[in-house]
Amino acid sequence: MSTVSVRYIVNDVDEAIAFYCGHLGFTEQMHPDPAFAMLTRGDLRLVLVSPVPPGHPGGGSRPMPDGTKQCPGGWNRFMLEVPDLAGTVDALRREGVSFRNDIVTGVGVKQVLVDDPSGNPVELFEPVRPEARLASR
Amino acid sequence: MAPDPLDALRLPIVPVEPRPEFADALGRRIGAERAGRAREPAVPQAATVRYFVDDLDTAISFYCRQLGFQEEVRSPGAFAMLHRDRLRLLLSVPGAAGAGRALPDGTVPAPGGWNRIALQVTDLAATVAALRDAGARFRDDIVTGVGVRQIVLLDPSGNLVELFEPAGYHERPGARTRGGKP
Repeated sequence: MSTVSVRYIVNDVDEAIAFYCGHLGFTEQMHPDPAFAMLTRGDLRLVLVSPVPPGHPGGGSRPMPDGTKQCPGGWNRFMLEVPDLAGTVDALRREGVSFRNDIVTGVGVKQVLVDDPSGNPVELFEPVRPEARLASR
Repeated sequence: MAPDPLDALRLPIVPVEPRPEFADALGRRIGAERAGRAREPAVPQAATVRYFVDDLDTAISFYCRQLGFQEEVRSPGAFAMLHRDRLRLLLSVPGAAGAGRALPDGTVPAPGGWNRIALQVTDLAATVAALRDAGARFRDDIVTGVGVRQIVLLDPSGNLVELFEPAGYHERPGARTRGGKP
């Protein structure tokens, strides 16, 4: 059951659904409105919304009270653990997925940043230390 | 220079901090080692999110004191790992090693943006009031969407955290109206 919710702002929800389900293993749970969809992958519930006008029923992507519109992008992101980062990156590149950088080796993990079609980052990582692993063996 | 023969007798240096959060984290670690689970993550199969923050200590204090996160790991000035239920939140400082380092084109990660974690609370109005009393800043006011009421909270670096409650909460039979932290 999904217990963690993350909201991403996207330009086109249908395009985003195709991307996350087609390349990153998400499953569509609901898509009741052109501006809203809910996907899941393991414990993660990904809420995709496109910017809507002030009167729209969807409350998660309206402009702020000062008029500022919500938009995709930034650096904050959810992370997905993969067992073979290099292999995953090769496969995704062949599928036409774009990356923001190349594989970086950090303290506990190797990581890379995928860009979704709206320019939102998704971090893929492979633990190089057991403490950094997400899933129990 | 020749190695000091006494090195073998020295214990590894553990930086002890007089903070209850640190003591709690250490206690959990020791308990896990005794149970033979030291090599397993504190929150198995958690969903993981990374946020960039300007000041690590300020951010840790905000997420732990205001939003109920627990600290697992801290690398001073660079990185921290917190958790809250099934969410593992990584805090990274721009420019620091690992995820904080610049891209090949020199672009440095930064806090901000509109993508955010969404935390469910049991009484949104009371939670917002308590957070305001504690000095927290919000980006908007409570809005009612389809099925949920929500608000967007600002962390000290300007990152967003969404708080929400199911819109039918107060109408449900037996619903508690007591306030509290999320």
